[in-house]
Amino acid sequence: MNRFIAATPSKCIGCRTCEVACVLAHAGDTGVEGLSPLTFMPRLTTIKTRDISVAVTCHHCDDAPCVNACPCSAIVYRNNSVQVEQDRCIGCKTCMVACPFGAMNIVTVPMTRHFAGVKIAIGMKALAQKCDLCSGRDSGPACASVCPTKALQIVDRNEMNQTLRQRQTRAAYELVGEAAAL
Amino acid sequence: MEKHMTVCPYCGSGCKFNLLVENNKVVGAEPLNGRTNEGELCLKGYYGWDFINDTKILTPRLKHPLIRRTRDSEFEAVSWDEAIKFVATRLSAIKAKYGPDSIMLTGSSRGTGNESNFVMQKLARAVVGTNNVDCCARVCHGPSVSGLMVTLGNGAMSNSICEIEDSKCILVFGYNAADSHPIVARRILKAKEKGAKIIVCDPRRIETARIADQWLPLKNGSNMALVNAFANVLITEGLYNKDYVANFSEGFDEYRAIVAKYTPEYVESITGLSAAEIREAMHTYAAAPSATILWGMGVTQWGQAVDVVKGLSSLATLTGNLGRPNVGVGPVRGQNNVQGACDMGALPNVFPGYQSVTSQEARDKFAKAWGVPSLPDKIGLSITDVPHMAMEGKLKAFYCFGEDPAQTEPDLNQVRQAFEKLELMVVQDIFMTKTAMFADVILPATSWGEHDGVFSAADRGFQRFTKAVDAKGDVKHDWEIFGLVATAMGYPMKYKDTKEIWDELRELCPLYYGATYEKLDGLGYIQWPCTTLESEGSPYLYEGNVFQRPNGKALLFASEWRQPLDQVDAEFPLVLSTVREVGHYSCRSMTGNCVALTTLADEPGYVTINPQDAKKQGIRDQQLVWVVSRRGKVIARASVTERTNLGSVYMTYQWWIGACNELTIHHVDPISKTPEYKYSAVKLETIADQTWAENYVQQEYSTLKGKLAKAADSVAATA
Repeated sequence: MNRFIAATPSKCIGCRTCEVACVLAHAGDTGVEGLSPLTFMPRLTTIKTRDISVAVTCHHCDDAPCVNACPCSAIVYRNNSVQVEQDRCIGCKTCMVACPFGAMNIVTVPMTRHFAGVKIAIGMKALAQKCDLCSGRDSGPACASVCPTKALQIVDRNEMNQTLRQRQTRAAYELVGEAAAL
Repeated sequence: MEKHMTVCPYCGSGCKFNLLVENNKVVGAEPLNGRTNEGELCLKGYYGWDFINDTKILTPRLKHPLIRRTRDSEFEAVSWDEAIKFVATRLSAIKAKYGPDSIMLTGSSRGTGNESNFVMQKLARAVVGTNNVDCCARVCHGPSVSGLMVTLGNGAMSNSICEIEDSKCILVFGYNAADSHPIVARRILKAKEKGAKIIVCDPRRIETARIADQWLPLKNGSNMALVNAFANVLITEGLYNKDYVANFSEGFDEYRAIVAKYTPEYVESITGLSAAEIREAMHTYAAAPSATILWGMGVTQWGQAVDVVKGLSSLATLTGNLGRPNVGVGPVRGQNNVQGACDMGALPNVFPGYQSVTSQEARDKFAKAWGVPSLPDKIGLSITDVPHMAMEGKLKAFYCFGEDPAQTEPDLNQVRQAFEKLELMVVQDIFMTKTAMFADVILPATSWGEHDGVFSAADRGFQRFTKAVDAKGDVKHDWEIFGLVATAMGYPMKYKDTKEIWDELRELCPLYYGATYEKLDGLGYIQWPCTTLESEGSPYLYEGNVFQRPNGKALLFASEWRQPLDQVDAEFPLVLSTVREVGHYSCRSMTGNCVALTTLADEPGYVTINPQDAKKQGIRDQQLVWVVSRRGKVIARASVTERTNLGSVYMTYQWWIGACNELTIHHVDPISKTPEYKYSAVKLETIADQTWAENYVQQEYSTLKGKLAKAADSVAATA
């Protein structure tokens, strides 16, 4: 089973700390100084309606529409998650259309390459961008680690098994009309 | 990488964290396991520190003393000697000519710390000779202090932030914790998880309303009527604690007589709530084994605010929810050190430690300690008195320390006219602010992160914070500057560090005597009263139900409901209420210079409006609109949201272009002098040419930033 970030609306206060943490976690070494409204593209989005506040992001589906839709095989299953191979992405937006959660975004970023020790601009590149579970970050997903109300949690198979077990136990008690002492 | 322990400089939650420093530059923040934050931070704590590095996004740091020799000349950089001499000479002359009460000083509730506020009020009282000292508590929780002082004898939160999560019922009244204090909001969520009942009284569908057991969306301006109806239900339905009332309170008969009229049915038309839901709320509140009331600006920023505070305190008294853990009254203080500025006597009626200036005994004690023959006995002016006292010619000099009234006071046009009338305006700050632009002299200070000190969190908790980096530029610590001014005015005053100041004030304030620097070392958290060296402080007040009133009993108090002053009509059909934004703080001179926080939200800011009201006016989400009141007109971006109630619009008060205080009314509570920020009649006007409007905002913003930068830059040119 793929890992994913589970968000709990009853704990979210809509503060957007997670969004900043997400952008910074993908900004390399530049730190806060590199942020700007034009390039601020978090991979999770805080939604606030009358009755809900919650951060929405990629579910890392186990049969992912984005993976199935990609004509270039640029989206792959790796390390119990869904990851984009940016080298192969052509920015065709098929994945963005396919994702039922609005978790996939197409962004254009300036590309550079190094030649003879000089950084040269080589135009813009469109990329499919979504939550990568902060792959490569030692301490795990940044959004979950900063959330002040613990409204975001990383869920993996073990975590899910425990939750399932609890719910199954509760369901069992309900069969005999009793509340489970969980 | 170095790590320096500090306390967050934004809200009063008192979050402890380390500032991460590389090569004398702050590069990050890392949460610590502080008493209130338990290893958590909100976005301001995590990303709100880079203003120290002088990012110049909104306005530059001040780096030299500046003088403007005439009002129409430019600022010029001068030496500290000249600046101090200028201030001292002019202050002394004004004092000699018009008397000490023609001078007013402010405390600062922000990053400067308790020690600087103590030294400031010492300068005012012992050297200038006036009690004209006040701080921004006036425009926020002033009514809570005034009200609770009368009913319970202490103006502070009676409980602790940590206790909130163990209360079985939380009545949230006019308090949006999610935006004002995310780290306190966290405790409300934890309380809910532990089974507490949550009741929210707020016209807006705030985050807490979303998770509440009961949400009472009362009409804007009906607080007193609802609180009286709550009392009416508790009494007429016999839900109150008769033993507690008999043993520990007074004034019951008079109280009952006033609230008798306010039956739930009677207030239905005033509050817009059904009698049944009012009753249900009080049944829940009274039934809880422990209940806590939390309130914020939704209670205090009204022409009738002190009365409502007294009313809320009376609900706690009626139900016996005082004097033990996990209960009480919680006016959750806004700014990181607004509790501290009050603790230090940056108020016109009390010395440090809440010792009255009208008490001969207190005056004698402070006069003796400070080596002066006498101290002024007349209660001083409030900060909201400044505009009209200046216009009337009674106030001649204003020494503004770490505040930006030209952004945060109501009816800014009136404020600007008043500043121009003053003979002397001194501004001591870390940034070139809108207020500093009016100054005759600007004294640049070290910022949070560049000095040591003690802050008081919202729940009376003293915590130490330390210097992380060296200040850049020719700046001094606030307490040093006050010492130099005092010395130049003929009263030698010199401290070697903040500990020396802290020890002086501990000796003078029995409430804080036991809160030594040693105890506050590291993550130390001492809540006053802490009267002995052995004491670990007081998580909650009124132990044993002994109240700090003449006979030790709590006062039950009610008042008749008064309607707000400004009136909506056909021309101005909407109510404007000013509120907070989670990612910015107060006048925004600090958060507006932080890259991450500015990235999330920038000028001109939003005016939120209900979809039905927006549709009526043809306003679409994200469009720029004019917001117009009887006093002014500003541009703002419409945010169409169902969280905003019909008939009202809300603006956050930190925007310098979309400055909602151009619109607000100068109508104050008669006792606390706190302005009615929560109720001004306005209208919204659509702008047909949105491209023009977008350009207009950009132009206005650049012009303002240019003006501020130039004022601070003239320094570099001449220095």
